[in-house]
Amino acid sequence: MNNHKFCFIICTNNQLLLDEAVLYIDSLIVPEGYTVQLLTVKDAASMASGYNEAMAASDAKYKIYMHQDVFILHKNFLVDLLSIFHSDPQIGMIGMVGYERVSDDGLMWHSKRCGTLYQAKPTPPYPSLSQYTYSLYDDGYTYVAQIDGFMMVTAYDYLWNADLLKHWDFYDVYQSLSFLSHGYKIVVPVQSHPWCLHDDGIIADLTNYNYYRQIFMNTHRHILGKHYTEIIQNGT
Amino acid sequence: MSYDSCIEADHYFKKLIENKESIEKAWDFISRTINEGLSCENLDLLISLIPYIEEGDGTLAFQYIGESRRILQALHIIKLERKYEKIPFSIHCNTMEELMEKYLLTLFALRRLQFQPSESAVSDAVYFLSQNKLSVFAIYTITQRDLIIPDSVLYEEILRIYTKVWTTADKEMFLSFTKTK
Repeated sequence: MNNHKFCFIICTNNQLLLDEAVLYIDSLIVPEGYTVQLLTVKDAASMASGYNEAMAASDAKYKIYMHQDVFILHKNFLVDLLSIFHSDPQIGMIGMVGYERVSDDGLMWHSKRCGTLYQAKPTPPYPSLSQYTYSLYDDGYTYVAQIDGFMMVTAYDYLWNADLLKHWDFYDVYQSLSFLSHGYKIVVPVQSHPWCLHDDGIIADLTNYNYYRQIFMNTHRHILGKHYTEIIQNGT
Repeated sequence: MSYDSCIEADHYFKKLIENKESIEKAWDFISRTINEGLSCENLDLLISLIPYIEEGDGTLAFQYIGESRRILQALHIIKLERKYEKIPFSIHCNTMEELMEKYLLTLFALRRLQFQPSESAVSDAVYFLSQNKLSVFAIYTITQRDLIIPDSVLYEEILRIYTKVWTTADKEMFLSFTKTK
């Protein structure tokens, strides 16, 4: 494992979006002594299987799993991620948007959200992006139970549940619980300015989402509505 | 467990499954009409889709298919351009795919001006915008209705790029649209 390496991992089926996402990745400040790798998985069978394939192919300690329609606006993104991981080795995963509780109905976004992103119609004014610097000391981060799959950054490798998840849904929920069950914390940095823009113009077909939601609700009934502290205490 | 929340979620997914066929049918009609309108440069046919999407059977597609929202923006742009006798946004687009590609590339270029990822990315964006002579309506609709956070700096930069393309009346219109934004 190379402790001084980041790897961006993107499952893609749209070259136009991918090219633009990569342009923003190429513009990021790389911490001194670190290298950056990019792995794209074209036409993966599922998000989980695509992520597993890329995970196995990279020796980078820090893996950034993201959607092809995510544009990273915060140039100090990598520096700030390192700062968070280095502040506590028990932090296993970072997201940009997260939820302290698992929602009652299995729909992540029905739970109170923390973090931020540019999405849908934003409300100006945000502070000038060029003026923005994140401070671990001043801004900090929030511990959560789950993070949104548009951006998931890990410091440890755990297999994504490709046996169960055959489509493009719920991989974020299961991977979050996997990290908690391995004793790692998940955090979302406080962002006074959104670090990412998620151009999710294409509304996903939620039919499969509901299929996995039903499975999740049957197998994880004991954690529905629970706060991350209760989940850590009682197990996943 | 919140009983209401689960009922609400179940209801949403039930409706989604019930409407699936109608959504696909509406989307198919929109796609076919746009492809037909573009292939024969029939702007009236394209514009006729606006009420279909906003008030007719096409509302289901608008509700559930994200791409239809950008299609609708493009149609509104074309409608304004037709009214004011400007070159239509759809020029050189022969298919819906090409229309959406032009829309996205325009959006990406405007975003690069806004977020300044790198010098080369910005100069590519400036080149793209200056080569594609877009109307005030196209620029204004995309900056206002899509995922950009426009400010006076962005508008000034756009004005600089289009200074030789837009007429004095165009520039005045753009300034009046954007002066309080």
